[in-house]
Amino acid sequence: MSAPVHFKFVETPRRVREDRRFVAGRGRFVADVRLPGMVHVALVPSQHPAARIIEIDAAAALAMPGVHAVVAGAELAAAVDPMMNGLDTPNVRRFPLAVGQVRYNGEWIAAVVADSRAQAEDAAELVEASYEALPFVLDAEAALKPDSVPVHPDHGSNVLLDRTFVWGDVAQHFAQSPHQIAFRVTWGRNSTVPVETFGVVVAWDPWNEILDVWASIQMPKYADQIARALRLPANAVRVHYDVDVGGSYGVKRGIKHTVLAGYLARRLNRPVRLIEDRLENMRAGDAHGPDRIFDVTVAFDSDGIINSMKMRALDNVGAYAGRAPFQLGKPVGAIVGPYRIKSVEYRAVSVTSNKAAQEAVRGFGQAPTNYAIETAIDRVAAALGLERIEVRRRNFIRKDEFPYLIPSGTRYDSGDYHTVVDKVLAHVDWPALQQQREQLRAQGLLAGIGISACLEPSGGNSSFEPLLNPKNTTSTWMESCRINVDALGYVTATIHTTSSGQGHETLAATVIGEVLQIDPDRIRIVRPDSLASLPGNSPVGSRMAIMLGGAAFHAADKLKRKLIRIAAHQFGCAEADVDYATGGIKQRGGPGQLSWIDLVTIAHRNFHLLPAEMEPGLETTHVMQVPTGEALPTPDGRVQMYPCHSFEFHVVLVAIDPDLGKPEFRRYVIGHDCGTVINPAIVKGMTLGGIAHGIGAALLEEFVYDDQGQMISQSFMDYVLPSAHEIPEVEIVHHCTPSPFTVLGQKGSGESGYLGAPAAVASAINDALAPLGIVMSKLPIRIPELSDAIAAARASK
Amino acid sequence: MKPAPFDYVRPASIDEACAALAVEESVVIAGGQTLIPILAMRLARPARLVDIARIPGLAGIREEGDAVVIGATTRQVEAERSAVIAARVPLLARALPFVGHAPTRNRGTLGGSVANADPAAEIPLVLVTLGGVVVVHDGRTTQEIAAQEFVLGPMMTALATGALVVGLRFPVWPDRRIGVGFHEVSTRASDFAFAAAAAQIALDASGRCTKCTIGIGAATPRPVRRDALATKLIGSTLDDTDIRAGVADAVAELEIMVDSHASPDYRRRAAKALAVRALTDARDAARGVPV
Repeated sequence: MSAPVHFKFVETPRRVREDRRFVAGRGRFVADVRLPGMVHVALVPSQHPAARIIEIDAAAALAMPGVHAVVAGAELAAAVDPMMNGLDTPNVRRFPLAVGQVRYNGEWIAAVVADSRAQAEDAAELVEASYEALPFVLDAEAALKPDSVPVHPDHGSNVLLDRTFVWGDVAQHFAQSPHQIAFRVTWGRNSTVPVETFGVVVAWDPWNEILDVWASIQMPKYADQIARALRLPANAVRVHYDVDVGGSYGVKRGIKHTVLAGYLARRLNRPVRLIEDRLENMRAGDAHGPDRIFDVTVAFDSDGIINSMKMRALDNVGAYAGRAPFQLGKPVGAIVGPYRIKSVEYRAVSVTSNKAAQEAVRGFGQAPTNYAIETAIDRVAAALGLERIEVRRRNFIRKDEFPYLIPSGTRYDSGDYHTVVDKVLAHVDWPALQQQREQLRAQGLLAGIGISACLEPSGGNSSFEPLLNPKNTTSTWMESCRINVDALGYVTATIHTTSSGQGHETLAATVIGEVLQIDPDRIRIVRPDSLASLPGNSPVGSRMAIMLGGAAFHAADKLKRKLIRIAAHQFGCAEADVDYATGGIKQRGGPGQLSWIDLVTIAHRNFHLLPAEMEPGLETTHVMQVPTGEALPTPDGRVQMYPCHSFEFHVVLVAIDPDLGKPEFRRYVIGHDCGTVINPAIVKGMTLGGIAHGIGAALLEEFVYDDQGQMISQSFMDYVLPSAHEIPEVEIVHHCTPSPFTVLGQKGSGESGYLGAPAAVASAINDALAPLGIVMSKLPIRIPELSDAIAAARASK
Repeated sequence: MKPAPFDYVRPASIDEACAALAVEESVVIAGGQTLIPILAMRLARPARLVDIARIPGLAGIREEGDAVVIGATTRQVEAERSAVIAARVPLLARALPFVGHAPTRNRGTLGGSVANADPAAEIPLVLVTLGGVVVVHDGRTTQEIAAQEFVLGPMMTALATGALVVGLRFPVWPDRRIGVGFHEVSTRASDFAFAAAAAQIALDASGRCTKCTIGIGAATPRPVRRDALATKLIGSTLDDTDIRAGVADAVAELEIMVDSHASPDYRRRAAKALAVRALTDARDAARGVPV
């Protein structure tokens, strides 16, 4: 499919249609779904990081006013199947409530159902649990040791995954390189922490035998997983996608919440609402992100060319398996970043611990990996006394080398990294920026410039599933769109997922409008429920511009071709001899002319005028396969991960008062290339939000456990999110290298900013610390620790 | 995040409020900016809330001789926008923008901040630094307690059961050339500070310091004044070297708060840097240098 040369609606600064209802406070979120007779759930949390449950006494709680039920793990486990694991780890079993043993502080041991949430909370306090405390393990390295306490004794160890991939001749490249550097960096456990916690409302209709679900979800195969766990036919679970989701970026998975609420709704025969409060969300919402230690060694030449890399990534997934281990797999598709590193040894290790369960977070493991790769580039530059940008330039893949096959089997679609860097340096006035750093240093401040150059793999395939789980043969991760033109000529298109702020309605309408050359604002976008939906995999993996945009494009193109066939048939000419413009069709070199409504009328009312064997009506559907997603991984672990690769280049200037240790941003510039931009406002919002999120990861956000296994950061008092005060003015420098693999040249942007900001901020701080001869190598870098490190370095000088 | 059940009373007068507070496990609610979140998280579970926000005469800012008296339920935003505070208690005016953030200042009260005695709170620090007084009523008598004696430690005050903070008395300096400084460091703009420093000084016509007060908060379990340092600086011209040397000594002997948020070394280091800045700002302002 060749893209139009000039766009009419794509790339133009059109309003985001969803914004109107959100700005006016008229979104419809799960908390707005109120059903007659609805009852509320509160959860009883474990006080222990690990303990055997001896007894749960609910008598006092059941005696409280308004209480309908108290359900503990044993009852639930007898009625539902365990939740799915991503890896082949059948002995790591998980139910929505702890069964027999608790495995982290905050884990739910019982659910209390009452007429109001307040009553449920009052009663939850009276549920008496007696425990026998068990030994626990929090640290990933400790959990990895063979003599560690196993979080799941039946599994035998804490190791969920330990696989070493070797792509290319690592041994030879290391042997031939005159230099090597080894280092460790640590990525603290953070997440995306949306303002709206996870919530679900479930109603069971026994007369129609259907379970209706309204949920704040962003979860592939959600309905299937609910049905499977609840032992219902999949067509007895109806998920309503017309619910606005108040933020997610990966964490709104909600399987355990929904299975629990679904069981309760059926047992009580009442609609059940489970909306996490902040404590439940932070402690046990299955919403923590990667918690990762990287050990990296790079082999390089004296001119800074990096020949090979060895990386061990050790991820602490917490108490249960889930999909989290796959977050070590996705980065395989961009394991060399934007660089021509010839070979890679990658050891991916995933261990359980007595922390809360980890789930997907924006980038699915890519932001931590990018932080490790970018640290390597900075260290190589420092070791050789070379300029950091120059080292990047020397190692970048050149624009004439695309599509570029990286050692781990992914072919990058396109890019022009050198030009983006040139544009950013021209924009910031690079010599002036360096001078500004020197001026700040002369004022007695520590000042540093941070650099990062990162990729955003996009188009969300699921190739990491078969890569890490040989029993999984998934080779498609489709997305769909259906377009219907009614008898009055109005266009309605369907999307088959919830949205958590990504602007999918604007996206689909813009693309369909572009193809059909009609005003996108006149196109209705609807979200059927899951039973009326076409196959889809939800907005994960920075995929919707590519996949929903692609499906909408193809469905619209099918519709357009049908209109052309109808017109050519009326004109008695070849289809090639008509011109389609703004919805109407003219015969080229002839008198024929049909307006949009003429064509609609023929399709809907004049079967006798249709070409032979054409179906009446104007309805088209497209189920789209992921571009490039054709094959399963090779036995040595090479796979085409995602189809598209956006590029971002950050330049950050920070100043640090050496006594106070507080990094202050003096300049923040990002060069961004995500190919063709479908809606500039959406892409800008993603990028700014992503940078804010990345600054949080670099400086502020972490779920902290004390050495007793108690979670300390349970609320926004201790889990510190950046506010408007902490986020600098960000300057965005655009570049467009269209992807050859997508319909309009678009790439993904849902993770932009976040994938490079943590690396850039860390780089800036370390540049500021360079004169003191120290580096910070764990995120987040907190103010007191930074000041203490500076003071120690000064004292030892 | 629903509070445990509680009773709620709204007394019509100070005496009624005191009577209500004499009942066990009753707590005052005024602006609620601290209490409501901890109620919601069930970190506090009082049997009864005594809402004093609408008691007539308990809010307001008035000049009384050599002081400005601020009623306990005066909203922080009112003081922040008050011309009287700006002119007469400039140190408070300087500190108020650091208190929480704009939405919490719309409801938060000055009396509530002092009665809550959070070590990181800015208003008690200013009151202690200026040698102010907490006006307390216990249903029978009205008592004035020096701020330094009122705030005993983290979330601890000298307020007796059945007593109510009714006002804060901030001394006004009549001197012609005064200057103030206030600095703090926190993770984010509105967070609990790791350390804070407040200073107010007066200069004579020749630029010599005639009055000086300096207080440290947040780094310490309660706000403290450094009177020895003030005494040392009075009579000097407050040169940078005077300030630095004096502050170094004054901070060295501070009792530093120990918790998990920051090392004691950090808090002391930050307190020192901030005290230098607060004094320097105060001096420059008194000298007429724009700060």
